Formats: sequence, structure tokens, C-alpha cells
Amino acid sequence: MRKTAMASAALLAALSLAASGCGGNNNADNQASGSDNNAKGTNAPAATSTADTSAKTNDDPVTLTAWIMPNSPKPDADFLKTIDPYLKEHPNVKVKVTVLDWGSAWTKVTTAATSGEGPDLLQLGSTWVPAVASMGGIDKLNDKVADVGGAEAFLPAIWNTTSISGQEDVYGVPWFVDARAIYYRTDAFEQAGVDAASAFKDWDSFKAALEKVNGVTVGGKKMAALGLPGKNDWNVVHNIFPWIWAAGGNVLADDNKTVTFNDDKGLEGVMYYTSLAQEGLVDKASLEKNSSQIESDFGDGNSAVIISGPWLAKNFNTPKANGGMDDKAAAKNFAVAPLPAGPGGQYTFVGGSDLTVFSGSKHKDATWELIKYLSSEEAQKAYADISGQLPSKLSVLNAADMDVNMKAFAEATKYGRSYPSIPQWGPTETALQKHFANIWDIVAGVKGDYNKDSIQKEMDSAAAEVKAIVNQ
Amino acid sequence: MGLQRDTDHRMKGAPGAKVRWTKRVREHKFAYMLVLPTLIFMMMVHLLPMIQGIWMSLLNLNQFTLAKYLKAPFVGLSNYWGLLFDTDNPVRQGLNFAVRNTAIYAVVVTVGVMVMGLLMAILMNRDFPGRGIARTAMLLPWVIPSYVVGVLWGFMWQQNGVINYLLVDVLHLMHDKPFWLMGPNTIWAIIIPTIWRGWPFLMVIFLAGLQTIPDDIYEAATIDGAHKLRQFWHITLPMLKPIIAVQLLFQIINNVYSYNIVSTMFGNGAGYPGEWGDLLMTALTRQSFGYWAFGSGSAASLMLMVAMLMVVGVWYRTFRTELNAQ
Repeated sequence: MRKTAMASAALLAALSLAASGCGGNNNADNQASGSDNNAKGTNAPAATSTADTSAKTNDDPVTLTAWIMPNSPKPDADFLKTIDPYLKEHPNVKVKVTVLDWGSAWTKVTTAATSGEGPDLLQLGSTWVPAVASMGGIDKLNDKVADVGGAEAFLPAIWNTTSISGQEDVYGVPWFVDARAIYYRTDAFEQAGVDAASAFKDWDSFKAALEKVNGVTVGGKKMAALGLPGKNDWNVVHNIFPWIWAAGGNVLADDNKTVTFNDDKGLEGVMYYTSLAQEGLVDKASLEKNSSQIESDFGDGNSAVIISGPWLAKNFNTPKANGGMDDKAAAKNFAVAPLPAGPGGQYTFVGGSDLTVFSGSKHKDATWELIKYLSSEEAQKAYADISGQLPSKLSVLNAADMDVNMKAFAEATKYGRSYPSIPQWGPTETALQKHFANIWDIVAGVKGDYNKDSIQKEMDSAAAEVKAIVNQ
Repeated sequence: MGLQRDTDHRMKGAPGAKVRWTKRVREHKFAYMLVLPTLIFMMMVHLLPMIQGIWMSLLNLNQFTLAKYLKAPFVGLSNYWGLLFDTDNPVRQGLNFAVRNTAIYAVVVTVGVMVMGLLMAILMNRDFPGRGIARTAMLLPWVIPSYVVGVLWGFMWQQNGVINYLLVDVLHLMHDKPFWLMGPNTIWAIIIPTIWRGWPFLMVIFLAGLQTIPDDIYEAATIDGAHKLRQFWHITLPMLKPIIAVQLLFQIINNVYSYNIVSTMFGNGAGYPGEWGDLLMTALTRQSFGYWAFGSGSAASLMLMVAMLMVVGVWYRTFRTELNAQ
């Protein structure tokens, strides 16, 4: 009796652990449906009280559910504050905000897309739109986007993400833009005698400036020229691609099937970017860090130059008490410049988020009205101010009353480029992340010798994997 | 109670199995009704997802077929075939490293926590002033959530972090500050925090075991002239053997399915732990969720489950006598 009891207990333990291990899918599903239930809970009364069609008439009470990401310090409150004028004007509309986190958002969105149970308004990362669209999770907006100005009204690099490459249909409206630009310490450049106006012109002038500024002492602190994160980062892929683009390379050829980033030009871009770390312009300790640690190092005066997004400028203007870095040495002595031009042109990474109408929504017209408001100049400006993200609408992005750093970012977005808008981008990025991480291991000197051959080899194996993914 | 009466019936020579089963249910109707909800619940949370997982492993379930979910195209065993024999299979990529790392990690961590736990249990079993406080303090690493452990050690392992400071600047054990979160050292960067967090639990279990060993056995051994080490070898260890056996199994299973610490230590789940840091669970998560290859992912998980069942089988054969001795 004992024997079987013990054996079956052991078996049960093994099985249940195995099930919870292999059932990662199921766990995630459960979590996602858990939050679905929340959404359902708020949806249900609205759905019963307002019939399907009555949402069209403007004054019937309607409760919209919005799923957004943590775009700002207080994501839900900041969002509600942005749409407050709209809600005041439309007292019949109520909005319930659910904030997803980027880590679990994909599972929740796909669960919603496949089950049909989800929000009304759905924020999607720009590279997710083609994938969710191909699952049938979001509505086509072809005949509606004219209401918000259409393609001409938005930054082209972000507008490209609202449809699947090579197809006509439009699935979203760009909400805000994320771009990369150079942050540099004006005081360090001054002390090293580097003219910032010409330093960021091209690759040669950039490297020469970094060499000059390397090791300069400001406020008693010796600075490394450049701070850059290596493999333990969320942005490994976004960090590298601007350099591949600037060398004249690209992720895929125009057919979106042929992998090209491992060609000579792609290699040149990767070699240039990694050589900055290899040639002593970067404190190698930073190769183990992530973007936010690099940002705080820059704030503390450990490096003279970093590459970051618009949120950092906002952060330097936010009081310490509110979680900002306005007390840091860099806060008063920084400026923003576009990434330097390479032999193949001048490029920076542009991403961001799009607003979409969830296909399972019962209040599609009311949802579209809200998206229209969020695309208005008033709301675009308000949300950019609150969140520190760049507006996607050109008229707001290029407005004369933007502060000087945002203007520099608006300038940088002119060189913006986004990834191919293909449904397989998610898996592609995962594969790239892994192999680019190996490249950083090589650069750090813990995985073989650093030379063109070893980097080429790693890029080739990345290309083989990406090829299998985009051709599936 | 019910158990006892069942054996009674059997001894009397109850007729066919079917009759015995229905009779048993009838006799203990109330008890079975009490158990029923739990049984149904357990089926729902354990059995059904497992069956679903097995079914999914036979489907071509990826981002393009996800909308059909369980009605995705049936492909038989080709997911398994791809994982075992197709070197171009994206889910397979990098699994070799993960298998190697998981084997090293599971063995070293299991041995580490058990030895450390036993040693500390023996120390804590002695009478000394402040024992209660010491025991409680020792439990601290165990109550820290593994997520936090990963993040904290992630900071400490950095090249200019506190660990290198201690090793190089204070203790002068090394010349240069090594990278811990990149390259081959990564395996130690994940093993050591896991042991650090894991041993207090073993200490508690072993402490409880030690207290069931009657003092008079030790007294008799002392009178017979056995010194402490002999007593440990011939009394303590054999008496603890059933506990050691069970904990050994739990630790192996736990460590093979380890995820949290590694996941949070490298870019909070976004980063790639590297060829010396990737474990089976982080690899499977990335390769199936990151690649949206859910069919292959289920197949890989199921193969892992079968492998673990074999480990359980070996374990049971090894410790059969100890487990039945009680």
C-alpha cells in the first residue's frame, strides 16, 4: 500500500510539474482569459444595455474597453486625462482602460484575437499589426482613414506599419512614434574641443569625435566616449539595424522573402557599430547592461554619448520626486542629434504604436470615434506631452512650439525607417535577438575572436533562421 | 479509516473487482461525494490541459493557424520528427546548448542545495544561544521571490558590480574582473543564486528529519565509542535516507523546470541568456512563444516530460527499498 502511495505521489508530482512546465501555453491562456473575464465583466452590462446597432446613434450610453501598454509613467490615468475633453463632450461614453505589460501582452492579444473576446480599442506595437491582422483579430479601416487625414497626415515610416507589406488594406492608425537619436554631453564636447555641429555628420566624423571625447574628465568624473548596451537588452535588434541600414543593407529584399542583412553591406554596418566597443570607445562593463542602466550611467556622467529614445529627454525634465532624473549631472548639459550618415545613407530606427479596432468589438463606431479623437491635433499634442513619446501626426510632430529636444527628434524621424511590415516579424526579431546577442559575446571577448569572419558566421546563421521563418 | 476497511474487504475475499468498486462507493457514498469536487477540479487543471498539450503537439499550430486553435491542420508526428532530426527546424536551434546547460545546472544545484542544506541542518540542530533567531535568519533567501533573486543577482554579477569588487579588489582572488553575464561564466551566474535561494528549504526539511531520530541511538553509539563522523555516517544518513530520496527527486524535477531566475537575470526576459545560460525552459519558451511555433513547442515539452518520467523511473528503482522500509 505504502509503496504504491509513494510511487503514485512521486508520479503525480512529476506529472503536475511537467504539465505546468509544458503547459506554459495553457498557463498563459488561463492568465489571458482571466483578464478577458475582467474585460467581459465590464463589457457585459454595456452589451446588454445597448443593442448592437444603437451605438451608432450618438447619445446612447456605451462603455468602451481599451487595452493599452505602459506608454507613460501612469498609463491608465495619463490615457484618461488625454481623452478627458472627449469624454466631457460625450457624456454617454465611458472608457475602461486595461494596461497590459509588454511581456505578456502578446499572449493576451493573440488569445483575444483567436477567441473573439477582447477589448474595443486595442493598442498594438507597430510590428504586431501585420501579425494580428493576418489572424483576423483587427478590422480593416480602409474607408475610414480618410477621416483622420490618411497616409499624408502621418510620418511615412510609421504609416507603413498600418498595413501588411504589398497589400492595400489598412488596419490601424499610428498613435505615437518611437525613434532613436544621439544624446551627447555638451559640456564634455566643449571640454574636449569637439564641434558638435559637425561631429554627427557621418561615420568618420562620429568616430573621430568619440576618440577625442574619450576619457575626458567632467566634474571630476572620467567619461567613456560611448555607452551602449550589449546582449542583455530589450532593444538588441533596434540598436543594430540603423547601422546596417546606414551601410546600405536591409533586413529583407523588396520581395520580403530574400534575406539580405548578412550581405557585405550588412556586415559593414555591424562591424562599424561593434568596432566602437572593440576600439576602446565604450566601457566594456556596459556591454552587460540594458538600455535603462545605460541611460542612468549617462545621467551619472559615466559616458559622453548614448543612443536613446524621446522618453529620456522627458525623463531629464521630470523632478526626481516623480521618478525623473532632473537632479542628474547630464540633465542640464545634454543635446540631441540624429544618427550619423553611413556610406549607404542616413537612417534611424522608427517604431511606435498603432490604434486598432478589435474585430470582436460590439461598439465599432464608437471605438472609431475615439480613435479619431486620439488622432486629432489636440490629443496628439496632449499625449506626447504627457508620455514623452513623439506624435505620429506630421502637423504636430513638426509644430513650431515643440521644445528643442523634441524638435531634434522630429528632425531625426526624417531619417526614420521601420522594419518590413510582415506577419512573421515577431519570430524574426526573436531570432535576430538571439544571434545578435552572440555577436555581443564575440565583441566582449568571451566567445572566440572578434573579426570579420566570426561576425559573418554568426550573421549567416541568423540569416538561415530568418529565412526559414519568413518563408514558412 | 477508509483505507483500513478496504483492505479488510479484500482480505475477506470480495468477489469481482466491479462489485467491490460499486460496493465501496455505496458504502462510503458521503466520503466520495466530498472528494468528488476536488477530483473534478484536479482533472480540469491537470489532465485536460495535458491532453490538450498532447493534441497540440500533433498539429501544425503556428501564428497562421492559431485562429483555428485545436482545429489546426493535423500533421501527425512531424513536429517530433522535426525536433529530433531536422537541423533547420527553428525550434530545435539552440536546444543542444539548453540540454547541456540544464543537465549541468540541475546536477550542480541539486547536489549543492542538498549538501548545504544538510550541513546547515546539522549545525542548526545543536543547542546554542540564539538558535531560534539563527534558524529564522537562515530562511531569508528562501522567502525572497525568485524574480527578485534574478534581478538582484543580475546587478551583483555585473562587471563593475559588487561580486567582482569582492573577488578582485578586496580578496584579490583574481587579476581582472571577468564577465559573469556573458560567455561561459554565465552558467555559474545562474547556478550560484539558485543554490543560494534553494538550500534553506532543504535545511528545514532535514532539520525536521533530524529531530525524529531518537537521542538514545546516538547515546548508545557514543557509549560504544563511535565518534561524530561515524555517527553521522552510520546513524544520521541512513535514518534520513527516505527524506533524502524524496527531496532528491523534487530537486531534480524542480531544477530541470527552472525558469524564473534565469529569465529575470538577462534583460528581464527579453534578453537571450546566451549559449552558457540558456536552460530548457527559457529555450522552450523563447523558441515556441517567441517563434509562435506552438505545435513544435508542445512536442518539445512532451518529450521533456517523457524524459523526466524516465528519471522518475530510475529514481524509484534506486530508492525502492528505502521508500518501502517505513
